[in-house]
Amino acid sequence: MMTGTFTLHSQGQGTSIKFNAMASPCELLIDTKDPSLVQQLATLATNQVRRIENTYSRYRDDNLCHRINTSQGHPVTIDNECFQLLCYADQCFQLSDGMFDISSGILRRAWRFDGSDKIPSQTDIDTLLPYIGWQKVEFGESFIKLPLGMEIDFGGIGKEFAVSLVAQKCRESAPETSVVVNFGGDIEISRPKHDLSPWMIGIEKPDSENEAEQLIKIAAGALATSGDARRFLLYKGVRYSHVLNPKTGWPIIDAPRSVTVAASQCIQAGSLATIALLHGNRAEEFLKAQNVPYWCSHANSIN
Amino acid sequence: MQLGKHKKISHLLSAAACTLVGGGVQAEEMLKDWDIDTAVLIYNETDRVSAMEGVVQATKDFGEGHIFSGKLVVDSLSGASANGALPQPEAQTMSRPSGKGQFETAAAETPLDDTFKDTRVQINGQWTQPLMTDLRASGGLHLSKEFDYQSIAINGSLAKDFNRKNTTLSVGFSQAFDQISPHGGRPVALSDMVIDSGQFATDQDYWDAFDATRQTAGEDTKNTTDLVLGLTQIINRRWITQFNVGISDVSGYMTDPFKVVTQVDDQGNAVAQTYENRPDSRSKAFFFAQSKVHLDKNILDLSYRYSQDDWGIDSHTLELRDRFSLGGKSYLQPHLRYYQQTAADFYQRYQLSSTALPDYMSADYRIGEMSAYTMGLKYGRELENGHEFSLRFEYYQQSSSGPSSDLPALNGLELYPEVKAAFLQLGYSF
Amino acid sequence: MIYLRTASLTAALLIPLLAGCSHLGVSPWERDLLAKSEMNLDAEGVDLTLDDHVYFSKEGTSGGRAFAGGGCGCN
Repeated sequence: MMTGTFTLHSQGQGTSIKFNAMASPCELLIDTKDPSLVQQLATLATNQVRRIENTYSRYRDDNLCHRINTSQGHPVTIDNECFQLLCYADQCFQLSDGMFDISSGILRRAWRFDGSDKIPSQTDIDTLLPYIGWQKVEFGESFIKLPLGMEIDFGGIGKEFAVSLVAQKCRESAPETSVVVNFGGDIEISRPKHDLSPWMIGIEKPDSENEAEQLIKIAAGALATSGDARRFLLYKGVRYSHVLNPKTGWPIIDAPRSVTVAASQCIQAGSLATIALLHGNRAEEFLKAQNVPYWCSHANSIN
Repeated sequence: MQLGKHKKISHLLSAAACTLVGGGVQAEEMLKDWDIDTAVLIYNETDRVSAMEGVVQATKDFGEGHIFSGKLVVDSLSGASANGALPQPEAQTMSRPSGKGQFETAAAETPLDDTFKDTRVQINGQWTQPLMTDLRASGGLHLSKEFDYQSIAINGSLAKDFNRKNTTLSVGFSQAFDQISPHGGRPVALSDMVIDSGQFATDQDYWDAFDATRQTAGEDTKNTTDLVLGLTQIINRRWITQFNVGISDVSGYMTDPFKVVTQVDDQGNAVAQTYENRPDSRSKAFFFAQSKVHLDKNILDLSYRYSQDDWGIDSHTLELRDRFSLGGKSYLQPHLRYYQQTAADFYQRYQLSSTALPDYMSADYRIGEMSAYTMGLKYGRELENGHEFSLRFEYYQQSSSGPSSDLPALNGLELYPEVKAAFLQLGYSF
Repeated sequence: MIYLRTASLTAALLIPLLAGCSHLGVSPWERDLLAKSEMNLDAEGVDLTLDDHVYFSKEGTSGGRAFAGGGCGCN
């Protein structure tokens, strides 16, 4: 297994560790200067991230995700972690009335969100729709069985899961040290600092073309952002977001460009943000009902 | 309303996330409610004015840079204030500004008008919000009212961040409209104070003479325009600095209606108390620089201001605060301030009655040559409930100076008395 | 002519100064100390309000930090 490389910087009273994984800049901010603790947490984090990426990425042809997606209708053996992830995805599916669906990824064969005006035909979409629907998937503690032709994609929860898992491992390994886990703007803090002062974290704005960073203050909990302004289609003046409705096969219209949610865990924040986007123009209404802090960025807002 | 249609799923997702990852901590409250700062100040000058002042300042962050700040200041002041007249070798009698009654000044003492009494209420509101990325706008309204004075002011400013918010350029504008209606009316400039020493046959004769020294028309307003350019720069992780340059233009009634200049004969004996007169325009320019440096155990705050105006007053102000952490949640902060100014061109301690009156003259020590220093100490402590308590003591001493006099009657008299003041402030923030 | 020379001299001095500014500063995660409320330039807000009022009524110059404004007949 690859342990990965990372760079280490001294940051004030703490230490910053940077590496690239899951197509994002990843960072750990650790409220210590103790080199052995830093080394331990850095190794732990990079190992976990590489492992999650290796196991659940759909871009590899030698991993569990690939075995599940090429199983031709046969059951595939899974471990407990995968079972728990599927349970979580199932919860999201149930709670969103079927809108959050990890089997909707095959719609990408029809939709290419490259800023162009290439809209697929309804026929293209109709041929894909029978292969979508999480309710058709059978799974148990040790297996998953996809109907023939279906695929699943952990992309919607994988990164947030990695953030939450690394934060939890830090909590277990260094219960007295505050650690910020920041993977491409999805953030979780293992515990508050001793003086309860907030961390100042620079995150790249998801909807800006330049490198402007947004500075946020956070003392505890987690933040996650869903949405991506760079992935869209523009057809007859309508901007189609890359968030697709698994029931119709068409993009959600009038959704905010991006939604950021604060919650206690990153994975929970991420799912709430994604489910909010799936509510289209009623995203804010949905978020208000959740009673969590959130920030929406709209397509017509000034950047 | 469709709101009710949305299920609350956040707690279910939280439970599911806990099962998935294990553990989990609750998010702490991230957006705070109102921040309230309050303070009471008790101010006391030796033998002169005493005052009490209360401030309540409330700030609320509505998120994403939308900030409201409101402030209420109430103060009440009473005591005696130098009216500009010279001390004399013998006791003196002068009229109160209202014309009703007189006050006595003992031999060799600086005449103090003891009817100085006022209550002021001031309200400020300020709204700040972003206009676009790295550009903020702010606008505010200021109202203040005292017995004989009222003021309304508006301000607006723009601030633009550069260089990853390490550099901020700002431009600000303020316009104030003041109205003056002093108790007893505004004296006619350069008229002599009417003092009843038995020369009037009837009360009516006295009041006719008094009213003749009062203005019935003319300027009783004052308008102030301020323009400030600012640059804030973060130097490094421990050091932030700010530079402001500004101009201020005031037009209107700036004469102090309660101040006189004593006219003396060639022996130095007072022959008249003549009401002062100041120009009706004043242009100021200033430069201000401040640095704050975070050292290991303390934070240094050093500032300097240079100001110049077309009345001839140049001033330098140097100020230092040093906040020492006492470990835990308390701190001690010594404060030093030094101020010095040159006199206004039309400042004069007295006027020789044998020479013609100038157009403008004032014996107000506050626009004369002076230096002043302040020494203070503040103690602050954060309480267990997160509130902060502070106690501050300051001592202020002002030394006026000017040319000495060789007139015999003024020999040995203190023409430029010192002013000493102490103030105590109690603060509470929550 | 003298104005032109002054202006170009000012520009010559100012441009490197401003360019120099872009090398100054910190990254967002290095704002731990600057983020403390006591490092705000106006951290002593209420104290400064009260001090300004005292000095405004005792001295010939006022303002500088923010707006001089109107508001008091004592000077």
